[in-house]
Amino acid sequence: METIVRTEKVDKIYNPGRPEEVRALNQVDLEILKNRFVLIRGPSGSGKTTLLNLISTIDRPTNGRIFLYGEDISRYSDVQLSRIRQKTIGLIFQNFNLLPRLPAWENVAFPLLPLGVGESERRKRSTEILNQLKLEKRVGHPPEQMSGGEQQRVAIARALINDPEIVIADEPTSNIDAESIKVLLEILMDLKNKGKTIIVSSHDPIFLDYGEIIFYLKEGWLKNVERRENK
Amino acid sequence: MAISEGIKFQSLISVEEGADIYVTSDYFGSNAPISLEYLDHFRKMDGVTKVVPRIVGRTYFANRLATIVGILPENIPQSIRLAEGRMFREKGDVVVGKGLAKEFILQIGLRFSLSANSSKLFRVVGFFDADASIWSANLILMSFEDALEFFRMEGKATDILIYTRPGYATILAAKIQEEAGASTPDRSEPPLRVQDKSLVKRYFQRGFNYKAGVFTALYTVAFALAIPALLIVSGFGQTERRKEIGILKATGWQTQEVMEMVAFENFILSLTSAPLAILLAIVWLKWFNGAFIAQFFIAEIGLMAPFSVPSRFMPIPCLFSFIFAVILTMVGSLYSTWKTATIPPVEAMR
Repeated sequence: METIVRTEKVDKIYNPGRPEEVRALNQVDLEILKNRFVLIRGPSGSGKTTLLNLISTIDRPTNGRIFLYGEDISRYSDVQLSRIRQKTIGLIFQNFNLLPRLPAWENVAFPLLPLGVGESERRKRSTEILNQLKLEKRVGHPPEQMSGGEQQRVAIARALINDPEIVIADEPTSNIDAESIKVLLEILMDLKNKGKTIIVSSHDPIFLDYGEIIFYLKEGWLKNVERRENK
Repeated sequence: MAISEGIKFQSLISVEEGADIYVTSDYFGSNAPISLEYLDHFRKMDGVTKVVPRIVGRTYFANRLATIVGILPENIPQSIRLAEGRMFREKGDVVVGKGLAKEFILQIGLRFSLSANSSKLFRVVGFFDADASIWSANLILMSFEDALEFFRMEGKATDILIYTRPGYATILAAKIQEEAGASTPDRSEPPLRVQDKSLVKRYFQRGFNYKAGVFTALYTVAFALAIPALLIVSGFGQTERRKEIGILKATGWQTQEVMEMVAFENFILSLTSAPLAILLAIVWLKWFNGAFIAQFFIAEIGLMAPFSVPSRFMPIPCLFSFIFAVILTMVGSLYSTWKTATIPPVEAMR
């Protein structure tokens, strides 16, 4: 099975050399195979979100290397990293990070703008995804008029609009109700069944039934790796 | 800028409609009263059509500085418009500007004296129109004799205005200057100072260009100060904007693409805000008569001008306003955008 992500002795230190220095990650080595449901677990402050940020290329490691499809991306330029995020990675943030001024369809469609996709096509593609996620009645609504679960589905739709290989979700159940969690799990499993690699950070035990590889972090150290049977 | 242009325009019209040559005495390089004995001499010169002595002085009307103009009744310009009353006819009659009339609630028939010469009594017989030129607002117009008496300047005028036939002005000015250009031991009179219309016009132009220059300099300073202020505001204050840029970058936008989008947004913003600013200026000047701002361009008028504030909207200042608006918004927002877009997206989204 192809390795999609590999980290090699990755450190992340915030405010290095200052009194307020924080070592968020220490010497993390891990490997993620294609089409796996990967779960990153650990208590608060263990470095889960930091690790996801590094894998998703929205942050850079202090030391160590990160490989994506065998390429060392830790020294990639800003432009190269943007291209990776545009084509390969779909991000779902804990607090959704939707643009409050835009209606749902535009929130979903704006990653298509730099690709030169015209407005009608953007609208069509984003509406299709929103329909698949059962948000057909919320296409023209701004985030403030939607529930937490609906906002999260809009964020998922945005993450999927460019058909990425890897879908990364940070604490996806922390801001939604039980019904929405059920819908979320269905969506993630569906994506996994379509060949995507799913990487989720969460301390919610509900994911334990779904994770095929579980990385346990504690105080920035990778303490344990648990491999399970494919679901 | 519009007010400055308006005053300049009105000044130049006044100069254009005025005399062809202005003659005064020259005391230590400054204008000084001229003897009325010159009147006959000037009248006899070839090409002269009219010679008008005039007294222009300043004095306090209560606490307000007023301009006193004394002219002969036959030399009252036809263009003068009165809002009320009549022109002066008898000794002591004066016509008062709307600014003074409004401030001191003057009435037709009111008698008053001025502290500079309290023995001289005046009577208000008319008021200038509010739409007359800005110089008439604090003006007290009276007969030449009354002005002479008031300023105790027997046999003198502050200047002599000479009207000439077309084409004679420059030649006559040179001739007058030549005849009385320098003091000689056998002459008690000081030399004359002769200014023709083109020279006066140049003085006005230079004066207004200087004023406009000062205003432009202040504007530039404000502009220069506004840029760092805007940078501070946009760089540190706009958390939402920072977050938006972080989200754009996190979803695959490149720094250049973010910059292009912000530049386009700002260009559209400038395109709409510059005409809006000009429209606001027009409304402010035409409907509210430049309230509060006219005082920066016209001395001693207070918050509300008692006359119609002159204004002109010229294309070049309007264009500059637009360009400044574009530059200001572009510099402020593009720099802060670039700063935000070049840090890791996760930091921008915090």
